[in-house]
Amino acid sequence: MPDQQPSDDALLSSLAARDLGALASLYDRYGRLAYSLAYRILGESEAAEDVVQDAFLSAWRGAGGYRRDRGNPRAWLLSIVHHRAVDILRRKTTFRPAPLEVAEAQPADEDTALAAEKNVEHRTVRQALETLPQAQRRTIELAYFGGYTHVELSELMGVPLGTVKGRMRIGLQKMRRVLERSR
Amino acid sequence: MNDHVQEELEAYALGAVDRAEAERIAAHLGSCASCRGAAAALAEVVGTLPDVVPLREPRAGLRERVLAAARGNTSRPETVRRTWSVGRVRPWPILLAGLTAAVIVLGAADLEASRRLDATSAERDKLSATLDSFRQGGRWWYMVGKDGFAGSGGVLVDPRAEGHAPFVLFHDLPRLPAGKILTVWFVSPDSTWARAAAFRPDGQSLQAVMITMNVSGFDRCAVTVEDSSWGPRKGSVVMESRIAPPPPAP
Repeated sequence: MPDQQPSDDALLSSLAARDLGALASLYDRYGRLAYSLAYRILGESEAAEDVVQDAFLSAWRGAGGYRRDRGNPRAWLLSIVHHRAVDILRRKTTFRPAPLEVAEAQPADEDTALAAEKNVEHRTVRQALETLPQAQRRTIELAYFGGYTHVELSELMGVPLGTVKGRMRIGLQKMRRVLERSR
Repeated sequence: MNDHVQEELEAYALGAVDRAEAERIAAHLGSCASCRGAAAALAEVVGTLPDVVPLREPRAGLRERVLAAARGNTSRPETVRRTWSVGRVRPWPILLAGLTAAVIVLGAADLEASRRLDATSAERDKLSATLDSFRQGGRWWYMVGKDGFAGSGGVLVDPRAEGHAPFVLFHDLPRLPAGKILTVWFVSPDSTWARAAAFRPDGQSLQAVMITMNVSGFDRCAVTVEDSSWGPRKGSVVMESRIAPPPPAP
């Protein structure tokens, strides 16, 4: 019999039942991705680790309140990581990380970074993002990875708030269609 | 409710709203299924964005930091996974980790109260002596928690050494309602249940409970939730294990 790995939903149910083994499994599944996201937003390994610890602890405490209508468990967990990281970033008003294309020009440490392109899922998302016009892509990246609010983006990019919202809406709609076609 | 938030949902999904807006939108989502559905769909799209980030390895210690934080900032034995069967013996790693953790907890205790230093040192010596006793033929069995006690468990230790009584090292015990008590039982081959100890969880990550009777002659141990610390067993079994017979004499 092949070893069946529990689904993400099953792991969250176990988390709600205070099963530390489930938390360990969830970490093994998403810890690296969570850390990579936090590092991408904060640019500091120590702060990124603190965010990951805080996020998993929050998931541990809040799994009982998780509802599927907040997105799938993976998206829910990563949204916690994202919120924590952005909260910290916004307190550091003098520092905002570079947008994605600039970051890509600075390759990560060969010993510690693993190429996202090796993963088909990752490549699909990257391609979905790359299909967007530059303005939509940049708006989404600055919002998500840069921690800017839509009001800040309006000022930063010199466009009306409605334009920022429109770029986000159309951009995410396009991404969704591309992702759905790839499944 | 007509005051929908659909114009803000994309920014909300991207985390690109300030705290006040986020709270207002979240409150609306709590009462509007239509907007909630749209927000969930957006959350799934946004949830793929981390996939474009180059993967990095955190330091190896982060995993243990996360688990330690979940355990309540104290070190405890690695929680037993649910796939463990009742009575399956995983004694040594858990016991060693548990005793080590107990020493660490005791170490923290003496930082908190220097007046307890002597007592703590004595406890350390006792634990150390218990570990030594295993080299003299001590035995142990792991009881895995089930139902409302899933994630908890206890190691029954029979040091079988002069001057060392059996005890159970419990971990992750949930709190009990008022008036309830946990009871450790030894069960003989003819299904006679003998009360070995009764106690209430103290809220600590690890709790040692001393046993005042001999393990030999029994083939099963169990823990039940009871209303009383005396009388026959009435409560449901929340953890149990077989007790393996002692090895034949050389």
